[in-house]
Amino acid sequence: MNRKLTTHRVMAVAGVVGLLATACGGRTAGGPSGGQQQAVTTKAGTKPVDKVVWAVYRDVNSLDPIFAFDYPENTTDSLLYESLLRQGADGSLGPGLATLSYPDQSTMVFTLKPGVTFWDGNPLTTDDVVYSLNRNTDPALAGFYSAVFSRVQSIAATGTNEVTIKLKQPDYWLASEMGSIPGMIIEKKFAQAQGSNYGTPAGKIMGTGAFKFESWKPGVAVVIVRNDSYWNPAVKPLVREMDIKGAPNDASLTSALLTGGINGVYAQALTTLDQLKTNKAVTVTYGPGWYTDAFIVSDLKGALGDVRVRQALSLALDRKGLIDAIYKGTATLPKWISNRGTFGYGKSVFEAAYAAAPDMTQNLAKAKQLIIDAGATGKSITIGMSSELTGISIEANALKAAAEAIGMKATLHSVSAQNFINFFIDPKARVGIDGFFTLNYGDYAGPESLLATLIPPDGSQNFDGYGVQGTDPQAANDSKAFTLFDEARSTADPNARAQKVADVEKMIATDLPWIPVLQPLIVLITSSNLTGAYASFAYMFAPWADKLGGTG
Amino acid sequence: MGPAESVHLRFFVRRLAMLLVSLLVASFVIFAAIYLAPGNPIAALSGGRSLPPDSLHVLEARYHLDQPFIVQYWYWLSNAFHGNLGISITLRENVSDLIASRISTTAGLVLYSSILIIVIGVGLGILSGFKRGLLDTSTLVITAISASLPAFVAAIVLILVFAVQLQWFPSLGNGVGFIDQVRHLTLPAFALAVSSLAIVARVTRAAIREEARREHVQTAVSRGIPTAELIRRHVLRNAAIPITTISGITVASLIAVAAVVEVVFGLAGLGAYLVQSAQSKDLAVVQGISLLLVTTFVVMNVLVDVLYAVLDPRVSLGSRAQ
Repeated sequence: MNRKLTTHRVMAVAGVVGLLATACGGRTAGGPSGGQQQAVTTKAGTKPVDKVVWAVYRDVNSLDPIFAFDYPENTTDSLLYESLLRQGADGSLGPGLATLSYPDQSTMVFTLKPGVTFWDGNPLTTDDVVYSLNRNTDPALAGFYSAVFSRVQSIAATGTNEVTIKLKQPDYWLASEMGSIPGMIIEKKFAQAQGSNYGTPAGKIMGTGAFKFESWKPGVAVVIVRNDSYWNPAVKPLVREMDIKGAPNDASLTSALLTGGINGVYAQALTTLDQLKTNKAVTVTYGPGWYTDAFIVSDLKGALGDVRVRQALSLALDRKGLIDAIYKGTATLPKWISNRGTFGYGKSVFEAAYAAAPDMTQNLAKAKQLIIDAGATGKSITIGMSSELTGISIEANALKAAAEAIGMKATLHSVSAQNFINFFIDPKARVGIDGFFTLNYGDYAGPESLLATLIPPDGSQNFDGYGVQGTDPQAANDSKAFTLFDEARSTADPNARAQKVADVEKMIATDLPWIPVLQPLIVLITSSNLTGAYASFAYMFAPWADKLGGTG
Repeated sequence: MGPAESVHLRFFVRRLAMLLVSLLVASFVIFAAIYLAPGNPIAALSGGRSLPPDSLHVLEARYHLDQPFIVQYWYWLSNAFHGNLGISITLRENVSDLIASRISTTAGLVLYSSILIIVIGVGLGILSGFKRGLLDTSTLVITAISASLPAFVAAIVLILVFAVQLQWFPSLGNGVGFIDQVRHLTLPAFALAVSSLAIVARVTRAAIREEARREHVQTAVSRGIPTAELIRRHVLRNAAIPITTISGITVASLIAVAAVVEVVFGLAGLGAYLVQSAQSKDLAVVQGISLLLVTTFVVMNVLVDVLYAVLDPRVSLGSRAQ
């Protein structure tokens, strides 16, 4: 009994920790090529569909956007709520519930679109907007996005259809955040009446989206239905009902996809992908991802404090092997820390800089020379990992092999699957560890959204004190990245801003505060008679099922 | 009050006291085990990314996670005495509501399985006990194999054959409406029943054989008592005690094994929820479900004891059947 439970626990936790684990070596079928960018949407559906069951990797925990921080909640909230601005499937930022203008560098004015209504028919007001944005920073609510508003001075209604955000200093990243989860709007009166029940299974919610909330039975599904009185008559979803359901493990998910019990999923490192690819019951589509699989350097006081050692490890790592073993070919070699899919603005600038950057390919001879130059031969690193998480375990062993191939030593420090998360949230867990692996993403299509957590000295994922005097032996040099990064945040022109961010990417692709491992693609799997869903990572932040429907 | 009633009353009072002590001990042991287990309950909310430190602190204070173990247990226990089982950290909702919504799935699954076990298991046992030959031999072979089949293996085989290949039954979820729910529960119920069913069939067969050999049965046969009455009064009546014992134990154990089947079939039952909550260290939920399971187990045992007394007049409540 205990043994059986443990097996399942490990299987499910691989999902809970969200680490794309579970894969194991084996056969590699021809994956998508990383050379060209994939399409960001699938062909629009043409036929009405009564009901679709959509799988997420675990049950939804909350329908309150301030607590949406992970795949299941984001996937659901992006259908129910709309944000002030909106990210397209290609990551471009446009108007959402409002349009944005900048009277000056420190003032953002949101003009609400006329005629927007909530599901209950009430019109969207400036009160709703101010209330929703302020909930993000209310300490009593403990929402997950308060850091996004760090440069905000005040949020106030400045007209009947106008909300103004005053900034302490210019912040051109806040606009993109307003096109993501932190910019989602709920109805004030409704939320206040619900109190602490808002967004829980006991309560109800109120948004403006083209789908509306119907019911939520924990453990079964969140049921949402088409909002037939949606404020924008140009948008008419073809799907009447969508059940969003946690799929407990790869085996259940696969059999349900094949038998029609589940009709769609954005899958991650699915162990059964090869089997599904060849089955006529489902269609598998690849699209640009906005996430990055990387080795987080968490201590610069050890051997990894020398940039040449980090470079050598990066050069020695067998990334192609990892792409096949963990992602069955559905990932690409990195050039930067950020995924190419994140180029949501300044596209031509980013693309030009990216094209000029080299692929991070294996070069053992160069790596060995760097270790000799750094005098690091025989030095040891400790890799935090969990042998219960297969993907993480494969990566850690690959890095160990890379270190040993270039004359270093490496120790694996394994913790339980549940404890792996502590590397991220508990400084005590990181003691004696040089680094660990992660799959990470930002809130929107812009390379800076992920970088903002690892470059600034107070970044939530700057674990090693990169660029900080006292923790980083090369701080004088490394702090340049942050200086340039901070400049970019205040740069109004998108192309000029993109250039600065691209320069930062270039710097940290050499500095390697994190060592990028690979860039996963989106793997969209639907029943073969369904089409129209987004095929990009935008599904996490924007209405991705407006055009989902039956094939013609 | 006659002596029999007072014996009965004492029996029930003693069992009630035992139940309360079991619950208290179980609640402490489970609370301690979950507390000591690795992981952070708040972390399950973030899916492996770093939550902002401020949010972490507020949440930890809200759920008393920053308090020492014994203080946390005391919070839980004193609330539980007032009928408040606490709030789930992951879902921010009352544990009693969350559990209540899942009882029917597990109850339905266990009931369905029990019916399969008792009807098919006992039925097969009786048939092969009385009729030697092909039926008996094939029952023996089949039950030998299925008795050693773990529920999750049975589940995978059933899904492969009846869901993926033949597409007769769904492989995932609960279904809506009575008929649909029964359809959804069919494969899980069989997966859950398969090995117990085989054991019950074998024990029943053995008990029937044992009784049929007894002297009083042989005497009855020689007296020319009709076969139907012979089977009913002389064999089945006496074989009923071991059959009841094994069926009782098996059905009670189903409640625990149900977790495995619920996970595989994605059923919203108590077992799957227990596993999920233990993973995310959602203490209040784990406690709530565990207490419910302990109570059910104790009540099932009382029921079996009462049944003994009904079946066999020599057994009185409060003493055990030998």
